[in-house]
Amino acid sequence: MDVTLALLALFSTIGLVFTYLAVSERDLVRAVIYSAVQSSAYAVLLYLLRAPDIVLVYLPVAVGLYPAALLFLIGKTEKVDGG
Amino acid sequence: MRRAIVLVSIAVSVALLAYATSVAGALGNLGLETRALAKMFLTLAYNPGLRELTAMSPEAVTAIVWDFRGVDTLYETVVFYMAITAALAIYRGAPKVGGGGVGLSLIVRVVTRLLIPINIAVAVSIAVHGHLTPGGGFQAGVALAVISVLLAVVYSAKSFGKVGVDESKVIALESAGFVAIAAVVFAPLIYSSVTGAQAYLMQNYVKANSEFSFPVEVLGQLISGTLIWFNVAEFLAVSFSFFIIFMLLSLREEVVRPALVGEESGS
Amino acid sequence: MALNALERFLLTLTLYNLLATAAISVYGIVARPSLTKKIISLTILGDALNVLAIFVGFRVFSIPPELTPEVELSLFVRSAVDPLPQALVLTAIVIGLAVNLFLIFLALQVYRLYGTLDARRIRELRG
Repeated sequence: MDVTLALLALFSTIGLVFTYLAVSERDLVRAVIYSAVQSSAYAVLLYLLRAPDIVLVYLPVAVGLYPAALLFLIGKTEKVDGG
Repeated sequence: MRRAIVLVSIAVSVALLAYATSVAGALGNLGLETRALAKMFLTLAYNPGLRELTAMSPEAVTAIVWDFRGVDTLYETVVFYMAITAALAIYRGAPKVGGGGVGLSLIVRVVTRLLIPINIAVAVSIAVHGHLTPGGGFQAGVALAVISVLLAVVYSAKSFGKVGVDESKVIALESAGFVAIAAVVFAPLIYSSVTGAQAYLMQNYVKANSEFSFPVEVLGQLISGTLIWFNVAEFLAVSFSFFIIFMLLSLREEVVRPALVGEESGS
Repeated sequence: MALNALERFLLTLTLYNLLATAAISVYGIVARPSLTKKIISLTILGDALNVLAIFVGFRVFSIPPELTPEVELSLFVRSAVDPLPQALVLTAIVIGLAVNLFLIFLALQVYRLYGTLDARRIRELRG
């Protein structure tokens, strides 16, 4: 059996778990960190799917630029997801 | 506790659905065969025998992005430019440099000072080798954009002003990148109007009834016609656009708020 | 070559994980009141759908779509993954990035003007 398929299933499950944690978390800074972990799992997933060009775009964008811009936004506005 | 129960129930139901679908064999050919279109693109990406159809680039994804589907990428660059312009327009009237802030400690500053040249070298290498290895314009642009985040956080927003980076220079460099893309797109048109021969917009190599061609090789190194120029121009345009975005986002609210809110409330 | 039952299960499980992630992020966009949480969920939705598009072009026992000098062309065509979804996803990621950054700027401006990022309170404002 190819190890790739098992690793694909593993990392997509990690992505699912951290997505749910990010959506249901009240503290917004923690939600951004959970979403960054999910993006790292998806970066490994994209490498396993034989797409190195996409990994080179996805890694700085989803792990670097989105959390940075969102943390700037949270620092200037509210820090808790009310409700 | 409640979240753990919901999470486990989601995971179990997804696994059960997947098992049911896989046993029923409902996926068909997923993961086994590629389409005829994919085979055509893979055959034509680097094929010295078919000079009129090929893109002469061993990297199939870059060949598709800038040669086979080049007009898609052109319009996507236009959309990106419009989004950056709209973000700049929100900040009209506000002072754009000289925010404030403290930055981080000496250790972080020294380490960042070592990392910045490494980052620049990697980004330029990704841009220039985009037609030979995985890489290209966007990849290099976002790799360099991480530097603007580092500068805004580690050295504080007013460091942009101290290094001589003010917003008009950054906008000029970003626009130079977009103008370079337009120049490469319109170069066959200029050639055709000067010499009277026939040429197509965004043409890369010699076609059936047109003699115009960008150089394929320089001194034995493959540069793949328009692909390298597009990659370098896109790298300039994207990276400096992110410089502007993070220069604006890191300004302190007390500096920016009087100019922006006052205008909306009519005062 | 065909896949045995375990390999088929793992492939289907990956597909359903991606679909479930997309569904949960849509729930996050609709049901959570904070604008920042909505933006976070929108980025997760975009990521999940982009990875799904690349997954459709995937092929087991394959190589990435780069032609190296020691691989000859017919072997390359027979064993590389589909390069077209990768090119389209590249475009999609950049457009998504531009739109999401603009949304962050807009959310910042909403907070400056109305003092809140809670969608339920914004709905009750007038003008």
